[in-house]
Parts: sequence; structure tokens; C-alpha cells
Amino acid sequence: MPDKTLLALFPDIDPTATAIEKLHDLGLRDDQVEVISGVPVIERILGRPRQWTNVTRLALGGAAVGFLTAGFLNFVTPRMYAVPVGGQPLLPIPPGLILFFELTMLFMLLATFLGVFLDSYFPNYRPLHYVPEISDGKFGVFFKCPAGEESRFTDAMRQLGAESVKPAEAIHL
Amino acid sequence: MTLASRLFGRTARAETHDDEHDPRQHLMLDPKPRGEMNRMVMESMLTTSWKFWVVFGILSVLVAVCFFYAWGYMIAEGLGVAGVNRPAYWGIFLVNTVFWIGISHAGTFISAILRVFKTEYRRPFTRAAELMTTFGLVQAGASIFMHLGRVWLAYWLFPIPNVRQLWPNFHSPLMWDLLAITTYVLGSTMYLFLPLIPDLAMARDRSTGWRKTFFKVLALGFRGTEGEWTHLRTAMNIFAFAIIPVMFSVHTIVSWDFAMAMRPGWSSTVFGPYFVVGALHSGMGAVALVLFIMRGTMKHMTYFIRAEHFQAIGKLMLIISMVWAYFFFNDYLVQWYGGDKWTDLLLHWHESGPMGWMWLSMLILNVAVPWAILWNKAWRSTPWLLAIVGLLINIGMWFERYMIIPVTLSINRMPFTWRLYFPRIEILLTIGTFSMFLLFYMLASRLIPLIPVWEVQEGQMAHTLRKVGRTTVPSVSEME
Repeated sequence: MPDKTLLALFPDIDPTATAIEKLHDLGLRDDQVEVISGVPVIERILGRPRQWTNVTRLALGGAAVGFLTAGFLNFVTPRMYAVPVGGQPLLPIPPGLILFFELTMLFMLLATFLGVFLDSYFPNYRPLHYVPEISDGKFGVFFKCPAGEESRFTDAMRQLGAESVKPAEAIHL
Repeated sequence: MTLASRLFGRTARAETHDDEHDPRQHLMLDPKPRGEMNRMVMESMLTTSWKFWVVFGILSVLVAVCFFYAWGYMIAEGLGVAGVNRPAYWGIFLVNTVFWIGISHAGTFISAILRVFKTEYRRPFTRAAELMTTFGLVQAGASIFMHLGRVWLAYWLFPIPNVRQLWPNFHSPLMWDLLAITTYVLGSTMYLFLPLIPDLAMARDRSTGWRKTFFKVLALGFRGTEGEWTHLRTAMNIFAFAIIPVMFSVHTIVSWDFAMAMRPGWSSTVFGPYFVVGALHSGMGAVALVLFIMRGTMKHMTYFIRAEHFQAIGKLMLIISMVWAYFFFNDYLVQWYGGDKWTDLLLHWHESGPMGWMWLSMLILNVAVPWAILWNKAWRSTPWLLAIVGLLINIGMWFERYMIIPVTLSINRMPFTWRLYFPRIEILLTIGTFSMFLLFYMLASRLIPLIPVWEVQEGQMAHTLRKVGRTTVPSVSEME
């Protein structure tokens, strides 16, 4: 019999953190537990492992692409399509710095934005485990409950203040 | 009894009591359940009175006539229907461009700088300010395109390989403008959207019909998982730090459009910071005005936008006004002291020429009015008074740009070309851009939550009251 995913709904951070600790005591690993919330809560408050994000790396990558693009526009295209302006050098450095700055920032910001989409799998309109109470400030803890152990886990969660414990449903958001 | 207490009829003891206050007057110390705050924000978005539709209708007509029709007429007839002519080729279109870019700076200033410094009072009104950035930049862009005249050739600015035997010169200040404004528009729009996603998800969970579909599409499937929050928080931090230098670069580059030219009144090394401070000056005034209108016209806003917020904005307005005065005087004195014949003529033209009233009004509205009112805590905490000061500052800053652009252009080193600029169709187009800005804002107030509820809740969770000695003081925990 496969493991079942249950959802325990908590009204606040403290019981959520205690419940996660209890789930560890009951033998669940971190990857068998997932928390959703209507406000950001840093991982250490809930005793959860640090989340991995590629957003910073993508931002740096974007900045590098922007820098190279600026270099191309600054130093390559003026030779390809020369626009001689009265006594001015074809490849002046100071105005080039402005181009380097703007394009580096532009590509970095675009890559950061794109990074959120890639890392979060946005947009995602498939059915997903969710309850609308989350955006009312509740904290949801999804956990994989070993087959036949539902009542033990449910009781433990209720004792720690869960408002409800029920099988997780994938819904269309 | 002190001299001050005799003058104002208050005892020292009374002053002490004045300083004591109910901590619940601060939004962060007056929490409501999240569900209740969600309901309030949704109601404020969905409750629309007939007055809203009347104003909406008037603005729509103004946009149709003054923006689209007038612009279409100018495109059909050519720039001859505008007042720009030798020597003032840059008229109100560029006054409006600089003005709107200035307005757009407040959003970034409030949202990014105050976020970086973890200033807590920013929380309820970051979105209202960010919207000003995006909508202000739309008007700035439109004003530039109006100024172009042959707007259908705007694509010549882009580096499209050389079939037209043209290549944009990236070493020209106008190309820097294009790049900087494009970066700022895209950056600030993305920065507006990212923190909006959780609120769109909240609205999705509480909507039906077409609104449900609208919010569902925009919320992108956000659920509030640990990973989603981490990616969002990381991205918002990057944006908050990165958008600040972009903001400074935009208005500095706009100032270089003028300062790079060897013209009396323009060639100045302080124009960059002077323009940036001027932008913040008008932007903060506009934020005060927008918050006052929101508070007065939208349901439940008195809970989210309070006297403390006006007080804080008023303080910033006062400081920025002082910095603006410093830069103005710096710019003025150096030019005056230089003794250049043409600059002297220009300064006299500014002060005692036919537009002297505007020069004087600029100083009164940008310096005298804020200094006279905003030093007083009670006055700057009064929403309607701060809104009036904000409005007057914006009029003053528009005058400042008018003095810098067409009035300054009237005087140059060739006296036979001197001519005072009189706007013509530009007046209609100016009304059009202002109407469109307001119309966009009204539309946004019906379509997206103007209060970032999750940010307010996050702040309220971090704030507690702590007893110290015989009193209780607010205490903020590091939860971000």
C-alpha cells in the first residue's frame, strides 16, 4: 500500500514548528514534509533545511551576458557601421561605461525575473496540493504518511494544535 | 515655566503626556487576522461607487480627446501645430518627460531604498508607490514619442542591422536615455510584479467569474511553498539593491541631455544629483497626494494608511526639500559668480523676465511651503495638509522643469533668435498624460490589491511590545 499525503493545517508558526519536529520524531525525513504559507518564513524558524535557489546564479549569468552585449555594441558595431562624429574617437571609453552599466543591469534584472519563473516552475496551472486557507494566514504541512499509520499521525498533529488533518487534495488553482 | 511653554500655553508635563501614545496607532502594532485584512483589501478593490464611474468617465473622455485625438492630429498635421520653434525646440513634451520620470522615482525610492534599510512603515504603501513608477514611466515614454514628431520612425533608435544605412550612435546621450529608460521601465515593472504574485494568489482564492480567471492567470500557480518564497525573496532582494543605481542613472542621464550641451544655464556639473533630488522631491509629493486620495476614496484604507505614514513621508519630504534647495543654490551661485555675459543675461531673464513669476513660484512652492509646514509633526501628520504640500511641490517642480527647458532655451548666444516659447497643442497633450496617469491608477485600484497584505502581515508578525522600565516600547524581530 503506497504512502498517503496528508495535510495538517495550523493557525500559527509555533505549532507548525513543533509539528514539524514531531514529524521528524515519528520517522519522517525532511524531503517527506513540505510547508506552505501565506507569508515567507525563513527556514530556521520552522527547523527546515535551507532551500536551494538558482536565482542568484542566474542573475550573475544575466549580468555577464549583458556585459558582453554592451562590449559588442561598444567596441564591435562602431567598427562595422562607423558613425564618424567631428573629431571624436570611434571607440571612446567614458560613454562606453554607461552602456556597460545599463546593459549589465538590464540583463541581470531580466535573468533574476526569469529565474523566479524557472525555479518555481511558473506558470503552473496543473492541479496541485493546496488549500485556500493558506492565503488567510494558515500554515499547511504536507507529509507522506506511511500506510496504515494515518490515525497515529493525525492524532499527533491534532494534539499539537492542527485545526484539521486530512488527505491532501490536488486542486486546480 | 519655559519660554516655549509660555508661548504655546503648554506645561512641560503636558508635553511629556503628549509624547505618550497608544502603540496601536501604529499599523505594525495593531494586527488583525490575515483573513480579515484580506477581506478588507478585496472589499476596497471590489466596492465601486457611482462617483468612481463619473470620474472614470470624465478621465476617459479627456484621454480620448486630449491624448489620442490631439496626438493623432499632431501626427497628421506635423509638429507645426505645436509651439516648439526656434530657439526653443524642446518644449513641454520634454518638460513632461522629465516630470514623469521624476514622479517615477518615488516608487523605487520608497520600495527599494526603504526595503534595503528595512524601514517598517513602508509596508502598506510600497505597491501604491511602485505603480506610480510604472505609470509615470508610461507617460514619460509617451511624451518622448510625442516630441519625436515622426513617431513611426522610432525604431530607427534600435540597433537593427544596417539596411537603412543608419546605425544608432551609442555614444550619444539620447541613446543613453533610451537604454536607461528601457532598463528602468522593465526593471520597475518586474519589481512591481514579483511582490504582487502572493497577493494575486490571495485574490484568486477569493474571487469568482472573470476575476478568478484573471487572478489565476496572473498568480501563475503560486501556492506559498518554501521554495517559491525563497526564490521570490532572493529575487526581491536582488531587485531592491539593483534598481537603486538604475534609478540614479536614469535621472542623471536625463540631466546629461541638458548638461552635455555647452549652453548657458545647462552646462553644469551638479545637474546629475540636482535632477535626481528634484525627481525624489516631486515623487515624494506625489506619493503623499496618492495616499491621501486612496485613503479618502477607498474602503478600509484608514486601517492601512495612517497618520504615522504621512508623518514619515512628510519628514522625508522636508529633508529632500532641503537637499533640493542646496543643489539649486549650488547650481545658481556658481553660474552667477562665473560672470559669463550670456549666463548673466539668462539669470536676469529667469528672475525678472516675463516668466519671473514662475521662477519665484518655483522657489516658494519647492522650498518655502514645505519648510513652513513640514517642520511641525502635527501638521505633517495631517493627511490633507500633506497632500496639499505634495500637490504644491509637484506644481513647483513642473515649473522648475519649464524654467530649465523652454525658458532657458529662449536665451542663447545668438540674440537675433531670442523668442519666448508659447505652448499650443502641448497643453492638450499635457492634460492627456495627466488624465491617463490617473485613469491607469483608477483601473489598477479595481484590478489588483493596492495593499501588499502579505508584507503587512509579515511586519505585524515581527513586531511586539516589550516592557522597558515603566513603559512599553515596540520591538522588531529579525524575521526576514
